[in-house]
Amino acid sequence: MKIVQARRISQVFFFILFVWFCIVSTAGEKLWQLRGWPVNWFLQLDPLVAIGTMLTTHTLYRGLLWALATIILTIVVGRFFCSWVCPFGSLHHFVGFWGNRKKSTPQKIQLNKYRKPQCIKYFILIFFLFMAAFPSIAASLQLGLLDPIPLITRSFNLALLPIVDRSVNLISAAERFYEGAWLILVIFFTAVFLNMVIPRFYCRFICPLGALFGIINRFAIWRIGKKQNECVNCKLCEKSCEGGCEPAGSIRISECVLCFNCLDDCKENIISYQTQPSLAGEITNPDISRRGFMLSLASGIFAIPAVRLSNKLGSNWYHRVIRPPGALVEKEFLKRCIKCGQCMRICPTNVIQPAGIDGGLENLWTPVLNNRIGSSGCQLNCVACGQVCPTSAIRPITLSEKLGTGAFAEVGPIKLGTAFFDRDRCLPWAMDKPCIVCEENCPVSPKAIYTQECFNTIRDGILTVKKASSITIETIENNLSLDKLATGDYYCAVEGDKPRKIAANTGNTIVISSDNQFEKIPVPGGKIKIQVRLQRPYVDIEKCIGCGVCEHECPVSGKKAVRVSAEGETRSTDRKLLLKH
Amino acid sequence: MNEQNDKKINRRQLLTRAGKAGISIAVAGTVSYLLYDTKGPKAGVEDENRVILQDFSVQHRLGQTMSIAKGSDRVKTVDKAIELLGGIERFVRPGETVAIKPNVAFASPPMLGATANPELVAEVVRLCYSRGKAKKVIVTDNPINDPASCFTLSGIGKAASAAGAEVVLPKAHLFKVTTLTGGQLIKNWPIFFEPFKDVDKLIGIAPIKNHHRAGASMTMKNWYGLLGGRRNIFHQDINTIIAELAMMVRPTLVILDGTEVMMTNGPTGGSISDLRRANTLIASTDCVAADSYGCTLLDLKVSDLPYLAKAEKASVGTTDYESLKPIFATVS
Amino acid sequence: MSVPGRVKRLESAISICLLAILSLIGVGVFIKQFNYNMSRYGIDTTAIPKLETQNSKFEIPFELSSLAPAGFEMLSKVEVYNSENLYEKINGKAPLYTESGFEELFTQRFVSINDRSLWMELYAYDMSTVKNAFSVYSVQKRAESEAFLPMQLAYKTGNALYFVHGKYYIELVGSSESGELFSAMAEAARKIQANLAIDHDSGITEFAVFPQENLVAGSIKLYLVNAFGFERLTNTFTAKYRSGNETVTAFLSKRADSRDAEAIAESYRNFLIENGAVIKSTTNKTLEGKVMDFYGATEIVFTTGPFVAGIHEAENQQAAEKLAEILINRLGEIISSANNE
Repeated sequence: MKIVQARRISQVFFFILFVWFCIVSTAGEKLWQLRGWPVNWFLQLDPLVAIGTMLTTHTLYRGLLWALATIILTIVVGRFFCSWVCPFGSLHHFVGFWGNRKKSTPQKIQLNKYRKPQCIKYFILIFFLFMAAFPSIAASLQLGLLDPIPLITRSFNLALLPIVDRSVNLISAAERFYEGAWLILVIFFTAVFLNMVIPRFYCRFICPLGALFGIINRFAIWRIGKKQNECVNCKLCEKSCEGGCEPAGSIRISECVLCFNCLDDCKENIISYQTQPSLAGEITNPDISRRGFMLSLASGIFAIPAVRLSNKLGSNWYHRVIRPPGALVEKEFLKRCIKCGQCMRICPTNVIQPAGIDGGLENLWTPVLNNRIGSSGCQLNCVACGQVCPTSAIRPITLSEKLGTGAFAEVGPIKLGTAFFDRDRCLPWAMDKPCIVCEENCPVSPKAIYTQECFNTIRDGILTVKKASSITIETIENNLSLDKLATGDYYCAVEGDKPRKIAANTGNTIVISSDNQFEKIPVPGGKIKIQVRLQRPYVDIEKCIGCGVCEHECPVSGKKAVRVSAEGETRSTDRKLLLKH
Repeated sequence: MNEQNDKKINRRQLLTRAGKAGISIAVAGTVSYLLYDTKGPKAGVEDENRVILQDFSVQHRLGQTMSIAKGSDRVKTVDKAIELLGGIERFVRPGETVAIKPNVAFASPPMLGATANPELVAEVVRLCYSRGKAKKVIVTDNPINDPASCFTLSGIGKAASAAGAEVVLPKAHLFKVTTLTGGQLIKNWPIFFEPFKDVDKLIGIAPIKNHHRAGASMTMKNWYGLLGGRRNIFHQDINTIIAELAMMVRPTLVILDGTEVMMTNGPTGGSISDLRRANTLIASTDCVAADSYGCTLLDLKVSDLPYLAKAEKASVGTTDYESLKPIFATVS
Repeated sequence: MSVPGRVKRLESAISICLLAILSLIGVGVFIKQFNYNMSRYGIDTTAIPKLETQNSKFEIPFELSSLAPAGFEMLSKVEVYNSENLYEKINGKAPLYTESGFEELFTQRFVSINDRSLWMELYAYDMSTVKNAFSVYSVQKRAESEAFLPMQLAYKTGNALYFVHGKYYIELVGSSESGELFSAMAEAARKIQANLAIDHDSGITEFAVFPQENLVAGSIKLYLVNAFGFERLTNTFTAKYRSGNETVTAFLSKRADSRDAEAIAESYRNFLIENGAVIKSTTNKTLEGKVMDFYGATEIVFTTGPFVAGIHEAENQQAAEKLAEILINRLGEIISSANNE
C-alpha cells in the first residue's frame, strides 16, 4: 500500500470523524446524539488551544493534555497533523486538488512554488501568542479567531449544519439560529475557495497552527529529502506538493506538511522520508525577517491594551453581554474562550449565540444569551454548556450549583442577570391590557415576577346610568362593542362601590356576574366607570436569576417589554445590584 | 571510505537532532506536568492576595481619650485639643511615618465645609514634623470626584505640600482586596491599601456634616474613602457599612472639626448658609465617642444615628462619651 | 504516476501500521461513547424544578429541632433528596434505594454545643412501606454489628446506629467512636421513635413465619429483587439458623398462589441447573428431586402452598435437609391456621 493512500484514508477518516462529532453534539442518549462521544477531541488535540490557555492562565486544563501527544509526535516526525489529521487542511487539500486538477503539469508546479508571503502565518502566530502572554498589561485569548480547529468547528456547527439541517430536521427538531453566523460562513467559504487560486492557501499563508508546527518540527528524526544531490530536475515532485516547500531544491522543512505526494510522484525514486537531511540541502528555519518578527511582537503586545481603552471590561461594560451559567468572571473568561461554538451547539434551547463586537472587539463569537432566539431562554434544569466547554471558560457546574440547592443552598442560585420591565411597552403597564405571560412562565419557585392588582378606567369608560337592576345597567351612551367587556377582565365601578366583574355587554347594556350583584342599585343619571383589572408585573430582584424565559415569552415581540440585562450576575462582584447579607 | 565518513557524519547529525528533539519533548512534557490542572478554575476571587489593615492605635490612657477645644481659630484649637490628650508626642514617635486621612471627598472650595479645612490639615502635618519628629507624613484620600481636582480645589493638596507632607493620589495598583473578620459587607472587597501599608500611625480629620443618607458624616464615615470598587452599592445598608468601616480602621487619633458645622444639604452642601458656626474641635482616640459628641452639634441624638449603636455593639468604642471624662478647654 | 515496483515492503508495512492505528482510534472513540452520564448535563424536561427544600412532596414529618439530643443543636439546614438527586448525597448507593421504593431522604446534622468535633448526621429514608425499609436495612447490615437492644429492628457499629421505624429506614452516623456521642445518638433514636408517626398496623408477617428455634437473632434479611442472583426471586426473606457449629441459611417468599409458587420454584431450580447444579439423591421423600449440589454446597428449593422456600448454600446436606423439614412443617402450620380463620 502506498503511503499516500494511507494518507488519503487518514484524511477521510479524520474528516468523517470530525463531521460525525459535529452531528452528534446534541444532548441525548441515542447513538447519533451526544452520549459519551468525545466531541471535543479535535480541540483538545490542537496545541494552540493548550499553549494559548497555558499562556493566559498558567495552567494546562485537563483534557488539553492531548495536545502534548500532537506536539511530541510533531517533534519526532514532522508536520503530520496538517496532512493526516486536520479536517480543515483536508478540506483545503481536496478543494485545491479538485479546483486545479485540469491544469497542466508546469502550471501545477508553478502553483506550488514557495512564496514569500508564506511567512505571514508566523507573524500571525507571534501576534496572537504575545497577545496572550503579557498578563500585567492584558492577557486575552484571541487565537480562536484563526486557529483552524475552532474555526472549522464553528463554521460547521454554527453555519453549515444549521443550513443543511433546516430542510431535513434530523439533527434538531426545530431550526437552529445563530446570530451573525453569515460572517463565519463567509470567512469559511473564502478560505475554502481561495484554494482555487493557490492550493492550501489558508494552510500556507494564514494558519497559525501550521506556523507552530513549522517551528517545532526542526528536530524531526525523519524528514522528506532527496537521497542524492543529482537528479534529472523534472520537478515532478513539486507538481502536487501541498506545503509549497520545494523538495526539488533546498527543501523548506518548516513548510513540509508530510503529504508524501513528492515521494509518490518522483519517477526516479530519489525522494524519500529519511533520517538524513536532503542531499540537495534543507532549510529548517521559517523564512521570517527580524523586522517582521519585531513588528508582530510589538503589535501583539499593544493590541489588547489598545482594545481595552474602550473600558468594556470596566465601568463601560455592555449590559447585553449575558454569559451562560458557569461562565467565569469576564477577565478570566476572555483568557479561556476559544470561540469554538460548542456551547452554542449543545444548548438545547438555542439561546446561546455568537456575540458581535458590541461588547468590545474581544467579544467576537464568544457566547452570549439572546433570549429572543430559541425555545425558551436558559432552561432551568440544564447545565450542558459547561460540560462541553473544552477550556472551562464556562465551568462544568452541577445542577445543584446552578440552582443553589444542596451544598450550594447558602450561596444561592447562579444569576445570569436580572429582568427589567419596560413599563412604557408592557401591556398592563402602558396599554391597559391584561397580560401576565411573564409571571406564568417564570420558572423559579417562588416566582421572581409578582403582580400587583390595579383597576384603571378604560378609554371612554365613564358612562351615565339610564336605568339599572341588581345585575344590569343600561347606559345612555351606546358605544360599547358587543361582549368586548366579557373577557373576565373588565369591571364596572359605581361611585362609592367596589368594582364588580362584567359578565356580558351589548352596545348600551352591561351585565355583571350574578354572584356579585349590586348591593345598592345604581341611580339613573349617576356615573359609572368601566375599569379593566390589570395585574402589573414587578421583578423581585432577589429571586430573579436572569434566565430570560419572561423575555422570550413576552408577547410584545419586537422590542420586548421585559428584557434581561447582566446587572446582578453572580459571577461578577462589580456588577452586583444588591448587597447580599 | 568517503561513504563511511559520510555515514559517520550523518549518524552524528542524526544523534544531535534526536538529542535536540528529545530535549524539546522533555521541555514540553515538564511544562505540561507542572501546569497540569484537573480541577479547572474556581468561580470566585483568589484568597491569596487578601490584605489586612493594621491596627494603628496607641496605648489607652484613662482620662485622656477625648478632648474638646472651643475657639474660632482651628490652628489654635487643634493644638490645644491634642495637647490635652498628651501632646502629639504621645501619638507620634520620632522617626515614624504618619498617614493623615482627611475628608477630601469633593472638588469643593474650603469655605463650603464639604471637605476638611486645609489649614487644619497643614497644622496637624506641621505638628507631626516639628513636635512629633516624624520622618515622613503623607496625606491621602480616595475621593468621590476626580482625585486631582479634589486635592487642588479643596486647598488640601497645596496646604499639605507646603507643610512638608507628601500627597498620595489613588491609583489602581494601590488597591488590594480585603475581608473584614466578622464583617458581612466587607468581604473580598478592594480597599485603598498601599499608602497605609508601611505607615506607623494613622490620623483621620473630618468636618461635621449632615448626610442625607446616613444622617451625619463625621469621623467614622470618613473611612468610606478607604473603600474601592463600586462602593456606592453599600449605600443600600449604610449603617452596617459605616460600623464595619469603624471595625476595620483603628486609627491613632481622629480630629473632628466642628468649627463650622454643615447643618443642611450634606454631604456636599453648596451654600454658606448651610453652615453654622459652632467653634468646637474634638480630638479623640475613640471614633464612636467623637461622633457621639459631634452629632449633638448637628442637633441630633445618638439614637438618630443607628451606626453608632452598631459600632458600639461591635466593641469599637462607646457612645457614652461622658464616661470617658472628656477634657474641655476654651481657646481665645 | 509512480514507478511500478517502487512501493517497497517497508512503505507498505508502515502504511498498514498507520491504518491499524486509525482503526484503533476508531475503536477507542466508539468505546468511549458508551461511557456517559447524561444527568451531568441536567436537561430533564419532565421534572418540575425543585428549588427549595420546602418543596418536598411530603412534609418533613417531624420538627427536626425537637430531635436534637440534650446538649446538641442543629448544624446546617435540613437537606431533602428525591430519587432524581439522591445520588448527589450517597452516590453509588442510590440505586439500592431507588430500586426499592425510595420516596425521599431527609438529612440533618446535629453538633454538640460544647465540643464541635462531636456531631452526627441523621439520614431518614422514606421507603414507602415497612417491607421496603426493612429490606434496605437488612441487606446493608454490617457484619461487625451488634444488635441495639432497646429497639426491635436496630443494630449499631462503633460510630453509628441503624434502625427501621415504620416505612423509614434511619441511619444515625457519628463523627467519631465516642461513647458520649453514641449516647446522644441513642437519645435521638428514641426521640424519633417517640415523635415520628408511623402506621403501626403494617408489620412484617414473615418474621413470624420463620421457625424460631435456633434462629440467629437479627439475621433475617429481605431481598426485594434478585435474591441469589435470580431475577424472578423477588420479595424473598432469608434467615440464618444454628446447626452445631455452622449456620444454615433458609429462605422463603410468599407468592400470589401455589401455582405461582410452583412456577417460580421450578424456574429457580432450572436456573441453578443451567449454572451447574446437579440434582442429588436424598433419603427424605418429601424432598425428592428438590435437593441439588451446587459446586459442593447444598441447595434445596420447594414449595408449600403459596410459599417458595428452601435452603441456600448449606455446607452440610443433612443439616440442610433437617432444617428444610422443619420449615415445611412450619409453613404447613401457617397455611392451615390461615385457612381456619
